[in-house]
Amino acid sequence: MTAVIASDDHVPPEIVSSVFYSASVSDSLALLVAETAGRTQRIAWANEGAVQLLGYGLADLSTMPVEQLFPTLGGGELKLLLRRERSARRTLQVRTASGALVEAGVITTPSPGGRRWTVMLRATANEQERALRATADAHERRFSALTERSPVPTLLSEQGMRLAHVNDAFCGLVGRGADQMLGTGWIDTIHPDDLDAVIEQVSAALDGGEVEVQARLVRDDGALRTTVIRFAHLFTPGVGAGFVATIEDITDRLAFEAQLAHQANHDPLTGLPNRTLLAEYVAERFRPAAGGLACLFLDLDNFKVVNDSLGHTSGDELLVEVADRLRATVRPGDLVARFGGDEFVVVCERVDEDDAVALAERITAALSRPMRLGGVDVRPHASVGVTVQTAEHVAPEELIRDCDIAMYQAKAGGKGRISVLDQEARAQARDKLRLVTELRDAIDDRAITLLYQPIFGTVSRTPVAVESLARWDHPVRGPISPSVFVPLAEESGLIAGLGLLVLDETCRQLAEWDRLTGAAAPPRANVNVSALQLDGNLPDQVLAALQRHELHPSRISIEITESALMKDPESAQKVLQQLRDLGVELAIDDFGTGYSSLAYLRHLPVQCLKVDRSFVAELGDGHGEIASAVIALARNLNLCTVAEGVETAEQADELGRLGATYLQGFNLAEPMTGGHAAAWFAVHGETTT
Amino acid sequence: MTVTPFPELAPVPAPVFDVETILAGIDTMAAQKPVAAQLVSVANSEDTSAKELSRILASDVALAGRVMKLANSAYFGMRGRVTSLQFAVTVVGFTTVRTMATVALTDLDDESRLPENFWDFTTHLALAASTLAPRFGERPQDALCLGLLAQLGAALLFHNDKEGYGEIAAAEPTFAGRRAAETRRYGINSLRLTAVALEQWGFPAPMVVPLKHVDDYRAPEGALLRSCFEIAARLTTEDYDTVPIVRVSCGQLREDDVVPVLDVVRADADELRRAMLAD
Repeated sequence: MTAVIASDDHVPPEIVSSVFYSASVSDSLALLVAETAGRTQRIAWANEGAVQLLGYGLADLSTMPVEQLFPTLGGGELKLLLRRERSARRTLQVRTASGALVEAGVITTPSPGGRRWTVMLRATANEQERALRATADAHERRFSALTERSPVPTLLSEQGMRLAHVNDAFCGLVGRGADQMLGTGWIDTIHPDDLDAVIEQVSAALDGGEVEVQARLVRDDGALRTTVIRFAHLFTPGVGAGFVATIEDITDRLAFEAQLAHQANHDPLTGLPNRTLLAEYVAERFRPAAGGLACLFLDLDNFKVVNDSLGHTSGDELLVEVADRLRATVRPGDLVARFGGDEFVVVCERVDEDDAVALAERITAALSRPMRLGGVDVRPHASVGVTVQTAEHVAPEELIRDCDIAMYQAKAGGKGRISVLDQEARAQARDKLRLVTELRDAIDDRAITLLYQPIFGTVSRTPVAVESLARWDHPVRGPISPSVFVPLAEESGLIAGLGLLVLDETCRQLAEWDRLTGAAAPPRANVNVSALQLDGNLPDQVLAALQRHELHPSRISIEITESALMKDPESAQKVLQQLRDLGVELAIDDFGTGYSSLAYLRHLPVQCLKVDRSFVAELGDGHGEIASAVIALARNLNLCTVAEGVETAEQADELGRLGATYLQGFNLAEPMTGGHAAAWFAVHGETTT
Repeated sequence: MTVTPFPELAPVPAPVFDVETILAGIDTMAAQKPVAAQLVSVANSEDTSAKELSRILASDVALAGRVMKLANSAYFGMRGRVTSLQFAVTVVGFTTVRTMATVALTDLDDESRLPENFWDFTTHLALAASTLAPRFGERPQDALCLGLLAQLGAALLFHNDKEGYGEIAAAEPTFAGRRAAETRRYGINSLRLTAVALEQWGFPAPMVVPLKHVDDYRAPEGALLRSCFEIAARLTTEDYDTVPIVRVSCGQLREDDVVPVLDVVRADADELRRAMLAD
């Protein structure tokens, strides 16, 4: 409009008349011209659109006072609609011919001179707009119904942190009414410590992001709910940015997860942290070379007695009571963990050795108070191992290991003691660990070698068999006695490997001797088996070794110590029978040193008893009673006997007189390598044939 | 064609003051404050963005500072987190930016040129409107802006006729009485003058319609604004002669509903006033 007026002078008359014509006949545009006549303004002209909109006849319109058309305008307001210098825009009620008022947008534009105005009317509520508004209202109602009834707590922002809407689910979650939370009221429901994080995420959401934050909400009754609030950005054209937030209450889920985590890290019986948590706890606090960390390892003395005599329920009661006493005795902040079975560990920070020992003493005193279990007064005692962190501890698990060692020292020294792991003991323990590693390597590399000691017939004095003897020649430490490495192998789970090595190597050697010396080869080899090997696998292993080297089962005699047999007699008997069924011979080693039931002995499928070297040695002192009794017993049971450790000709003679079947000892032949044995048998074996 | 005779018009005494000069005065002010004028004209358009508004706003340091201050006020709950102008515009909303620009444009930020207690009353009015808006189905933000600008007409009348307006204010303790006196003197009352100005600038209907219906106690369109005038008067005017809230609110509010609103409004009014005014 402004452009037309500005260039009015330059528009050719035919164009002006063309525009005027289209305006005058238009029925979509309501145009009027008002002009000042005297002191009033009247309508001077109206187009077709205005006639249709207002319903007046053209003649009526063209003299009508302007205020007649706009009855809501007060006396002075007409001036503000028909301004001399500027166009004006209003929304006004317009009176139509029927007397009804129609709301219309009114735009007035003054002509130069300020006495005439073009008035444009636009009915604001036409059908299309009404339809659009109805659709928008329906959307609004749908959205509102959706959130209102939704079980998901939902917030709708107005500006910034201000809320325009909260649904029932949110009101229910925080236990407050919607009125209390609109605007900034809802901020009071956010835990003060979480408010900064929430505002930060609201900022991100207003900035266009989709974000979430974990925050605690404070209910009206003071209870806390932990929630995840998810914010999504909303933009309303012409208004600005806002957000929609949905809230997920994760309180119960977190509690459940915490319970699961607690169960994974705690002993269900005593409620104490378990081994896993103990390891994590020590690892978190362990700073190499820092010191100040101490571990106490407790093992209840005679717990097994309680369990066996009073039953497991009483045993559990005892453990629970011990746990309670431990918790009550340690300092606040110390950790008490159940390590396993009847073992407990206490971890303390910022203590020296004296403090740790003092705590151990307090603990043993507290534990030893009597408690009643199954009608019996029991005084729990514990052996306690104490370790205080030193510069030598490089890893957290070493602390636990060391206090475990110290506990074993305490136990070994007599029960109910406290032992502090000193430098020497730590060194010994480490040395032992190293030796275990080296033993494992030696077994893997077959660096464990066998020597063979001949066994002679007492009467003929000719060799009838050999005993395989394992030897470990350590590259640095030199020869290590079987009395050292066999128990070590048993303790560290290496005995199975060692046993298989001895069995296989013996069979291999027998086969080689057969090949090298033919008939002069040793007729039989005795192989020692540890108590720990005496299980259902042994017969198969023996058979496999024999088959691998194509040997007859009678070429092997299995030697088992008396004490090994007595550990689990029934199972031992079963295994021995299976071995016997294979055709291998069986001998009881070190007979007389254990406490065999003689009646039981009668039922074992063994062929031979080996008289322990200690009884043979007594012969020299004139005490041959036991050796004599063992040999007589064997004879009566139809068993043969091997006397070990024969070191003098006199002993050999005496044993012959007593009726021993076979002799073995340094005096007769020393243990020798496989190669030497081949040569030795080539010379001495011939005489046997 | 049916000819309907024109209904008789009530005789209206001629006003003694030419109100058009007041509106003409605004045009002069706009020329002196181009940034504010530009913000008033662009903020309402559908394709306005916070980025565009903050770009324009940045060239009026004083106005920008006030928007920042408002964005960080307790009213918006952002606790000083608003550090960029663009984000401040996002937080307060486009209509509020426009409202503040209108305040600057019409010199409402200069208290020396305003009737006594103008901002004290206005902030209470605006906060009451924002707080009660949801109960009347209105957007709180539009209600806040309406409250902030409702007295624009009164300020304009005061600018142009300090003495005459002062006399009206002193002589008429009630709103209705004062507005009738305004109509007698200026041909239009101050709220309708505000409506004319806001309509002229294209402010949305929810900010204009209530101004036209305040004096009609039967009109629900005016109920929120009428109620808020009542509440603001109770909070700011000594010895105010109260009108029952149920009456001014077309039955939407009871006296019990007003009590919590009073606390909220009282708490935030000072801060809002500081954000709206020049330092």
